Amino acid sequence: MVSDDSYSDWEAVYNDNVDRVYRLMYIKVGNRPDAEDLTAEVFVTALKPLRLTASIGEVRAYLLATARTVLAGYWRRTLGRQITRLEEDWALTEPVNDAGDSGAVARAAAILAELPDRYQRILRLRFIDACSLKEAAIELGVTVGNAKVLQHRALRQAAAVADRMEG
Amino acid sequence: MRGVRRFVDDLLNRRRTRPAAVDEADESQIRTAVTLRAAGPDSTPTDDFVNSLRERLRTELDDDTSAAHEPADGTPVRELRGSSRRRFVASIAAASAASVAIGVAAGEALGGGGEAVTAEPGEQTITPDNGEWRGIVAAKDLPDGAVRPFDTGSISGFVHRSGDQLNAVSGVCTHLGCKLALDGPARQLNCPCHNAAFGVDGAVLHHRLPIALPPLPKLNVRESDGVVQVFVPPRQA
Repeated sequence: MVSDDSYSDWEAVYNDNVDRVYRLMYIKVGNRPDAEDLTAEVFVTALKPLRLTASIGEVRAYLLATARTVLAGYWRRTLGRQITRLEEDWALTEPVNDAGDSGAVARAAAILAELPDRYQRILRLRFIDACSLKEAAIELGVTVGNAKVLQHRALRQAAAVADRMEG
Repeated sequence: MRGVRRFVDDLLNRRRTRPAAVDEADESQIRTAVTLRAAGPDSTPTDDFVNSLRERLRTELDDDTSAAHEPADGTPVRELRGSSRRRFVASIAAASAASVAIGVAAGEALGGGGEAVTAEPGEQTITPDNGEWRGIVAAKDLPDGAVRPFDTGSISGFVHRSGDQLNAVSGVCTHLGCKLALDGPARQLNCPCHNAAFGVDGAVLHHRLPIALPPLPKLNVRESDGVVQVFVPPRQA
């Protein structure tokens, strides 16, 4: 579809964008239930007043603006601090990659690469491979208590690395 | 620190995150946790979620349609496309309390189609519960045809006189709340955010937003003892 075209009905808007909106929200909040809630909020908020005479490009820009507001509201409600922002203007137009967001994978890999081996492993096991604490402890050959401490320390150091990368 | 741990535990246990108190020093740990998690296994939506949200939207949007007006003679709608567009516009009429009114914009959205979607009233008047009349400009300083901005602390807007008619409108764009700027010569109010423009009577002149933009709400306005007054909420303490 070219962006000068318009959508035939709201379902077309939904079908064409739900995947991207979810992926975007997931990257920004890191959590399936929250990403689902926020995706729903975006469509419920945006679809009601939406005018279908608008071009696809305009509709996507509007969805993106709505997503930005919804994300900001989420952080305000949960932590009172805007932890992540939706700054990518291209986010709803670029093609979807089935393997997930390669940018997100690359960012995580870049942070992990700067860490000592054990920190890398615990974070990879827990955050990316979704292992339980117990599974991670077995994998690393330590007690659950040790794995927990290791995870906290590793995250703290990863945050320092991430700050340095951004700065 | 406790806030961080709880938040991270929620992330890792795939629970909805709960409100927590965190300080500035915690922010980068939480951001990093999100970044790492973004590379994790839940990055694509499940079919269940996509289907159930579609159902939910269908219910919500179609409920709104049934509340809207059908053509009196029951004429079937001409074509699918017109139908869905109409459904969209109609749904606004029943939408949230926040969407004020759509007379003008709904007409515009229908284009030349001529199908009658009678929306709710085309304009709203702000009548605060505990309002009071507040003087904003001397009557002699608002001659015929003049427009003046005002700000009472609780409401900012524009007042103008046309013949023996006084008219006051809110000075806040009905899209996202940006403050409108008066273009005196053109007698219009411009939104700096997305280039929407309203007439000094509050009507939508033009915009490029993909929504039906409501006109500006009006305020009650009168002339008393040589002063133009608007009815507004009391000043905040």
